[in-house]
Amino acid sequence: MSQSQARFLKRGNLVKLGLLALTLILPLLPYVSEYLIHVVILILLYMILALGLNIVPGFNGLLDLGYVGFYGIGAYTSGLLTVHFGLSYWAIIPLAFMNGAIWGILLGAPTLRLTGDYFAIVTFGFSELVCLVLTNEIWLTRGPLGLPGIDPVSIDLSWLGGPRWELMGPEVGEVPYYYLVLAMVLVTVFVMNRIQNSRLGRAWFAIRDDELAAVSCGVNLLTYKVIAFAISAAFGAVGGSFFARWVTFLSPDMFKFWESFLILCMIVLGGMGNIWGVMLGAAVLVSLGEILREILPWLGLPAEVRFLAFGLIMVIVMRYRPAGLMPIPSVARQMEAARVKRKRVKTPGFKA
Amino acid sequence: MVCRRLTLILGVLALGLALTAGPVLAETIKIGVAAPYTGGAAAYGDNIKAGVNLKLEEINGAGGIKGKKVEIVWGDDLCEPKEAGTVGSKFAADKSIVAVIGHLCSSATLAALPIYVRSGLPCISPTSTNVTIGKVGKGWFFRNVYRDDFQGKFLARYVSKILGLKKVAVFHENNDYAIGLKDAFVAEAKAVGLTVVGIEAYVAKTTDFTPQLTKLLTNKPDAIFLCGYYQEGALIAGQARKKDFTGPLFGADGIDNADYIKIAGKAADDTYMTVPFLADAAGPEAKGFIERFKKSTGRDLDWMSANAYDCMGILAEVIGKVGADRKKIRDALAAMSSADKGYKGVTGVTFFDKLGDCQKPAFVKMVKDGKFTPAKQM
Amino acid sequence: MLLEQLINGLTLGGIYALIAVGYTMVYGVIQLINFAHGEVYMLGAFFALTFINLLGLPFYLAFLLSMVCCAVCGMLLDMVAYRPLRRSPRLAALITAIGMSIFLQNLAMIIWGSRPLPFAQEAVPAYFEAKAFTLAGVSLSWFQLFIFGVTIIMMTGLNLIIKKTSTGRAMRAVAQNKTMAALVGVNVNKVITITFALAGAMAAAAGIMVGVYYNSLYPTMGYIAGVKAFAAAVLGGIGSVPGAMLGGVVLGVAEALGAGYLSSLYRDGISYAVMIIVIVFIPAGFFGKLIRETKKSL
Repeated sequence: MSQSQARFLKRGNLVKLGLLALTLILPLLPYVSEYLIHVVILILLYMILALGLNIVPGFNGLLDLGYVGFYGIGAYTSGLLTVHFGLSYWAIIPLAFMNGAIWGILLGAPTLRLTGDYFAIVTFGFSELVCLVLTNEIWLTRGPLGLPGIDPVSIDLSWLGGPRWELMGPEVGEVPYYYLVLAMVLVTVFVMNRIQNSRLGRAWFAIRDDELAAVSCGVNLLTYKVIAFAISAAFGAVGGSFFARWVTFLSPDMFKFWESFLILCMIVLGGMGNIWGVMLGAAVLVSLGEILREILPWLGLPAEVRFLAFGLIMVIVMRYRPAGLMPIPSVARQMEAARVKRKRVKTPGFKA
Repeated sequence: MVCRRLTLILGVLALGLALTAGPVLAETIKIGVAAPYTGGAAAYGDNIKAGVNLKLEEINGAGGIKGKKVEIVWGDDLCEPKEAGTVGSKFAADKSIVAVIGHLCSSATLAALPIYVRSGLPCISPTSTNVTIGKVGKGWFFRNVYRDDFQGKFLARYVSKILGLKKVAVFHENNDYAIGLKDAFVAEAKAVGLTVVGIEAYVAKTTDFTPQLTKLLTNKPDAIFLCGYYQEGALIAGQARKKDFTGPLFGADGIDNADYIKIAGKAADDTYMTVPFLADAAGPEAKGFIERFKKSTGRDLDWMSANAYDCMGILAEVIGKVGADRKKIRDALAAMSSADKGYKGVTGVTFFDKLGDCQKPAFVKMVKDGKFTPAKQM
Repeated sequence: MLLEQLINGLTLGGIYALIAVGYTMVYGVIQLINFAHGEVYMLGAFFALTFINLLGLPFYLAFLLSMVCCAVCGMLLDMVAYRPLRRSPRLAALITAIGMSIFLQNLAMIIWGSRPLPFAQEAVPAYFEAKAFTLAGVSLSWFQLFIFGVTIIMMTGLNLIIKKTSTGRAMRAVAQNKTMAALVGVNVNKVITITFALAGAMAAAAGIMVGVYYNSLYPTMGYIAGVKAFAAAVLGGIGSVPGAMLGGVVLGVAEALGAGYLSSLYRDGISYAVMIIVIVFIPAGFFGKLIRETKKSL
């Protein structure tokens, strides 16, 4: 076995391969109900969103409080194009991606030169405005009346003389959607991984760690930040486009600040900047929500405890483990070094 | 070390999820009831719960349906489409649930309905009034409440004919319920010669209506249409009276709540509202129900509870006839297509058309001296 | 109609000013946007309601007691959630603030229910209902005058504290440069605690007056009021107390006029738009100075 093969078979990668295999065969396992598939699709969707958001605070160190705005833009792009023009989902994905990127650039270019706090507030204001526009411009979005009757995704080969498969149906349930979103997650992870190890990613990390030093190394702050913001927005829009074609109904109150906060929770809890940490955060929080939904009535607690718990988790994580469950390697190394140092100091009679 | 922690976390999560999802075989007939039990609309969810529970006691007290007890599975959808989708998916996946009563909010129903249609689960709503639901339901959706457009039309005709007013101002909430009402009202107003002197909108949870009220009142309307829910309606009433508006106020079933009088106080007087159910106009069986409701919950009967009670009754009757099978239940519900084949309950006779909508009359009540009393009916 | 809209706007503006001042003071001393400040405003209203309903206290006593309790709440918020993170990156403190806001909102929902509650109007002195005087066809009620009065008194009082007392001097010193202030002997932690207490008390006053005036209390009322007040603080120049006062009034009037003349649907949007435009084009607002970050951005 060559050296590179041996390195690949490290523990971490084996676990990841194992998980991948598990997710591939999940719908075929016994005891897996449609509800479970539904929840796992939700988890995978939030993974895409979390990976998208991860770019801005995780790779670049800027707080983005308005992610739900891009999510909503992508969802309504997808929904409206489907309802009015009957476009195929495969055409919509790139369109949503571009729309998200365009809005990311439009919002980012004038605002990314601001300091962290101000930028966060502006993004928050933006997402609230998006929600207001979605609600009030009834001629465009049907506003609060909602947008029902969005077609589900289908693979249409009829123009080739072939059959047409709808990805959602009475017999297969949502399983084809499951594989679709799984494929999208894998593509997203692949893209994030490649970006992470590229010049672009390194420039971002430089900006995150020390802006002044980055500038003196020739990194054009504004350009790289806008690129980051645009890509983040684009992935948010793609997630939204999937959401629209999955739930087949859109309503503006699905895109409130709470979603932004939830996704932020996921990346903070999981480990900001760490791709796998972020995915773990998404899985944990969505599952936690569902599990709490079940057990809270048993414990006799009111259901608001679910949301209270999220708020509390954020506060506690920020206090005791701000780097999250799976911190990025550099922070993990620092933490490990600090832990070793503490242990060494504790040894009695040893003068360091 | 990280990997071990990771595996532990994932293992616990997977176990937790699997436990929540597993269906349970039971010798009971399970019916899902979806409504917001927490969050801003929890008050309405309580009404549904009360109505369903009362009928449940009756049914189970009499030995259940053909000997099998009925069990309710409560699904909290927070009146939010995303949660409704998850709740709907849960209900659909649990094959022992044979029918769903819900959802309360029209947007929640619209979100969950595609799931029910896909998995063939009949759904009957006591409160969703949005006009488009019937089309999305594709035959699996029924409701025993009238639609927004019917109510809006009725109001326009009532205000013009019975109250004899000429100019109204419309103040509506920016949500699907109110917009549906407003559109139907404005269209019918034109037909009956009622002048709409101003239309203003507000978003939920607004507390200060003074700028828009000032604008509306400059046109000197005879009455103001409180097109929304009682929380904002009560505040609008109070603020309008403070601005010396003395004309009547009117609204639809959203205003019908005891808290409307509590919050608005004296300003609530001279408010008219259309309701699907009026205790004084109800038949003798209803009177018994009204009293039992008051005894068990301590508050007056509201139309949502009455409708929920009847939904439960309809399902019980249908299941008694065709058994606990999803498709058979849907077919039996669809077969209730005329008054003689309908269900006679506390809210009158319920039967459905091809879209699952029902034809129910609207009643009018008003607030006089701080109390609800029936108004002149049309 | 214009005069009436102006008066509506001034009433709203006074409320926003009271809350905005709290945001700006806290930002001034610890450079943190206290997202949970809106919740303190909400708690003020609910505390007063509870004191009147449960303990049967008279109106003015409930008012003052609620202000005291919210001052304590503000101090607790600082000590429990923000002080441990004083040396942490800004992102951590911001996220904690949001987390506390969500926590407090839901806690209030559990304690008081999520239905809107009417304020105990029986406890409010009856003379507030009556109209004070009428001016050009527009009438002002005594309670509106009360709101104006309380706002003006509190603003003046705050200004006096900041300008004339040694505590105020200490607050200004900490806002300018924390390290140097500590070096000259200012007890920084104590000053920050006092700032939070003052902010909390003023927010409580705003909350109670809003509760009485509009007769509707619900646990999420702090969220939207907080956002608008923050927009007002930004408009006035974050870190500047007179700026926050002016910003509050300007925003209130703009909102009333906008809702009256332009579009009532985008009423909240006015605040967001103002916020964005001010931050992007004139980040210093009316009176503030541009905050330049000198340390690491995270």
